Amino acid sequence: MKKEEFLLGLEDVLQREEAVKENDILDDYDEWDSLSKMAVMAYYDKNFGVKITLNQMKDIHLVKDLINLAGDNIQ
Amino acid sequence: MGLSKFKHVKIKGISTVVPEKEINIYDEAQYYGNNIKKIDRMRKIVGFYKRHVVDEGVTASDLCINAGEILLSEMNIDKDSIDALIFVVQRPDHSSPATAYYIHDKLKLSKNCMAFDIRQGCTGWVYGLYVASALIESGAAKRILLLAGDTPSSGVNPADRNVAPVFGDGGSATLLEYSDEINKSYFNITVQSNGYEAIIKPSSGYRLPFLYDESDKELTEYLTTPAGNKERLVDLHLDGIAVFDFTMNAVPSNIEDLMKHFGFNRENIDYLMLHQANKQIVQTLSSKLGFSDEKAPYYSFEAFGNQSITSIPIAISYNIQEEMQTTEKRILASGFGNGLAVASCIINTDKIYCSGIRMFKKPEDFLDRKQYIKYWKEKITN
Repeated sequence: MKKEEFLLGLEDVLQREEAVKENDILDDYDEWDSLSKMAVMAYYDKNFGVKITLNQMKDIHLVKDLINLAGDNIQ
Repeated sequence: MGLSKFKHVKIKGISTVVPEKEINIYDEAQYYGNNIKKIDRMRKIVGFYKRHVVDEGVTASDLCINAGEILLSEMNIDKDSIDALIFVVQRPDHSSPATAYYIHDKLKLSKNCMAFDIRQGCTGWVYGLYVASALIESGAAKRILLLAGDTPSSGVNPADRNVAPVFGDGGSATLLEYSDEINKSYFNITVQSNGYEAIIKPSSGYRLPFLYDESDKELTEYLTTPAGNKERLVDLHLDGIAVFDFTMNAVPSNIEDLMKHFGFNRENIDYLMLHQANKQIVQTLSSKLGFSDEKAPYYSFEAFGNQSITSIPIAISYNIQEEMQTTEKRILASGFGNGLAVASCIINTDKIYCSGIRMFKKPEDFLDRKQYIKYWKEKITN
C-alpha cells in the first residue's frame, strides 16, 4: 500500500474530518480514543495481516509509529 | 472438552422477547458533552444507535418467562412433557435460590421437571444448547426448555460512557428434543481464564460484599479511569481493548478448529450468527473468517444493542425468521465474552418454529421496587 493511500485510510478509520499527515502526533487528535485504537487494530489485522498487541498499542503516539508498525506493507 | 458432537438432538423452536423502551444514543448527547460528531463517529465505527432496555425492576426471568409462554402456547406444547428447564443468566433475581425455580413455578411446570441456572455471559446461549444436548443425548431427558436472557442495562449509570451505550436487554426460549433419526450438532468451547478480570463487576458477590457499615462507601465511590470515565467497584468493569484483542484471536481460531475438525467450510454453512458484541467486532470477525455481511449479519446490534446471552437468538429472529420456518438451515453460532470464553456450535434445523422478536408484556402481578419491598416487609412481619 502506498503511504498516501494509508493516510487516507487512517482518516476514514479514525473518522477524522481533517487530513491525517505523516508528521502528526496521534495523541493530539481528539479522535485518538479507545474506539479508534480498536478500529486501527482491526484495520491492520484485515489489511496487513498484522496483529497489533496491547503492549504495542500503548507505545503508539505518532502517525509515524503506526507507519513503522506496518513494516513493508506501506511504501 | 473443547470439541464434541451430538447425533440425536433437534432444536424445535426459538422465541425472543425485548422490552419496549427504546433508547436512541442521539437522545443521550448530554453524556458526550453534546458532541454530535463524537456520537456520529461511535455510530459509524461501532454501530452504537438504538437499544431496548427494561423498566426498573424487570429482570431476565420476566423476559424469559414471557418468551417461554409464547413458545409453549404457540407450539402447543404439553407442559408436563418437559423434562428439564435450564435458565442461562448472568444477573439472576436472587443469589439464592436459583431463578430457574421461580420460572418453573410461574410456567407451572411438572414436579418431575428439574430446573437449574447456568451463570454465563455472552457465551450463554451456546453453553445452554451444549448442556441441554448432552442431557438429551445421554437419555436423561427427552424434551428441554432452554431459557436464556439477561438485563445487562440494569443498574448501569447512564453517564458511564464505557458501558451504558453498549448493552440492551432481551430474553429467549429454545425448545430441544430427542430425535430418533440422526441429526448432528457440533460444539467447540474454549476458555482463556487468565482474562477473567477483563469483564467483571468487582463488588457483586461474596468476594467483596456490602457489610452495611462505613466501609461500604468505598464500593460506591466514583473513581476516574485514565480515559476520564466514572466508575464504581459495583459497576461493570469492561476493558474494551483487552476484550477486543481476545476476541480477534480466540474467536476465529475456535471457529476454524470447529469447522476443520468436523469437515465444514464456508460454502456448506448457511449463516454465521455471531454474538452481536458490536458492529465492528461482528464485521471484522466475519471478514477474517471469509463470510460476507449477508451470511454474517450485524444489523440487530444497531437496533437492540449488545444483548449479551440473548444476542444470537435475536440475530436469528431478526435476520432470518422466515427462512428458519420454511427451510432447512445449517447455522454456525458463536458466543464470546466474559470468562473469557468462546462457545461455538454448528446446528442443523429443519422448518422450526420461530416467533420473531416480540415486545415484552409485563405480567399482571408484576411488583415494582416499592411494591416488592412492601411485599417482603409484610411477609416477614406477619
